[in-house]
Amino acid sequence: MTAQFGYPSDREEASAAQVRALEALLIEKGVITSGTVDKVLGYFESEMTPLNGRKIVVRAWTDPEFAARLAADTPAAVAELDLPDGMAGAEGEHLAAVVNEPGIHNLVICSLCSCFPWPVLGLPPYWYKDPVFRARAAREPRTVLMELGVPLDDDTEVRVWDSSGHSRWFVVPQRPAGTEGMSEAELAGLVTTESMIGVALADSPPGR
Amino acid sequence: MKLQHHLGGLEGLDSPIQFEKRVFVQEWETRIFGLHTAMMALSDSLRDAVPDYDMDAVPSTFSTTWTWADLRKGAEAMNPFAYFQYRYYEKWLGGITAYLLEHGYLTQEELDAAARRFHEDPAAPLPPAENPPVDDQVVRYLREGDSPRRGPADPAFAVGDGVTVRNPPAAAHTRLPGYLRGRTGAVERVLEGSYTYFCSTGADGLGEPMGVYVVRFEPVEIWGATAEPGAGALYAELYEAYLAPIDQEGHQ
Repeated sequence: MTAQFGYPSDREEASAAQVRALEALLIEKGVITSGTVDKVLGYFESEMTPLNGRKIVVRAWTDPEFAARLAADTPAAVAELDLPDGMAGAEGEHLAAVVNEPGIHNLVICSLCSCFPWPVLGLPPYWYKDPVFRARAAREPRTVLMELGVPLDDDTEVRVWDSSGHSRWFVVPQRPAGTEGMSEAELAGLVTTESMIGVALADSPPGR
Repeated sequence: MKLQHHLGGLEGLDSPIQFEKRVFVQEWETRIFGLHTAMMALSDSLRDAVPDYDMDAVPSTFSTTWTWADLRKGAEAMNPFAYFQYRYYEKWLGGITAYLLEHGYLTQEELDAAARRFHEDPAAPLPPAENPPVDDQVVRYLREGDSPRRGPADPAFAVGDGVTVRNPPAAAHTRLPGYLRGRTGAVERVLEGSYTYFCSTGADGLGEPMGVYVVRFEPVEIWGATAEPGAGALYAELYEAYLAPIDQEGHQ
């Protein structure tokens, strides 16, 4: 794709200088402060990270009644947990969990842009925003998942959720086999961002 | 039609997925993300938000509306070749720069001079400026958000109803994935309440409070003979303005 397009030789340096210029001018003109951008970034580094999603998934794995409540009314179930203040804040206003089960695998995409459940998963990884992923996953989800290494039985139904409205969907992956007796912290270590969007399964425990 | 509205299902992009798991691949991308989010948090449109933001008490000189709709409109207005040429946050940088110039927050001369300065000395410091109430509003927005959900709804469709997606003219901005135009599905879920949008999308139909639905589509209905063998259902969340009763616009 890149071969047909020309880029300036200082592509990244020019963008870096331009964004720094924007930030400096907006500070000078009283739009923001010299700390505003760091405040935003700090929020996503320390509070709204995939750790929140991992805790939600682990609770669903270990408490079937919670899992049922999570599927029926995601915001209310998320509010039960001891998570940072703001789970219903920016891009979490309408959270909606979709739950994998034997024979059903869910995949969340955003074909129009990059809608993502920030409070649950933090900010979207690059692959999620890649036009090739967005184009292909809508039409050939099984092929895409196999390409990304997700083992799918022929009779597993792949459901695609295109985030075109307000719901910010995330996936509760299936609990891997051989995890009986693991602590919540150990279980959380198996839950990746990719598994909570549906392009991966939860990791298997070490040694399996 | 706009390519950006029809990305889902676009053929010919057969290259492997770039499975880049980082959120940012260049340090500068973090800053444009932060600027965009701060502008959303200071947007004049929050006067009408559900959390009762007291925007008059926020001592920022930002006085216009900047929402996801404005960012998306910029990306949807791009030449489709350029849309593919630029990386995700390069598109943000272009759109946000154009908006700030157009709304008079800075001039091209100021921008060029400052960019030249930082190009020559990337480590040059940012000007110091403290104003805690501005930063407090930014954090408050992150924690409390901006829900478009408004009063009660009077939904035209119920769970299980067949619906055909309308085919409104291509607009500057839409929330209707192009591949669903003219397709028929079944209402899976009716969202509680009615929903506005950040702006009017004109003849496209969004803006006023209306019902929103999760609609289930069978792949063969969307893609016909090229549907992937064994593919399961596709679900999209669609505004009532995009839906017609199954027989009204005909099944294409």
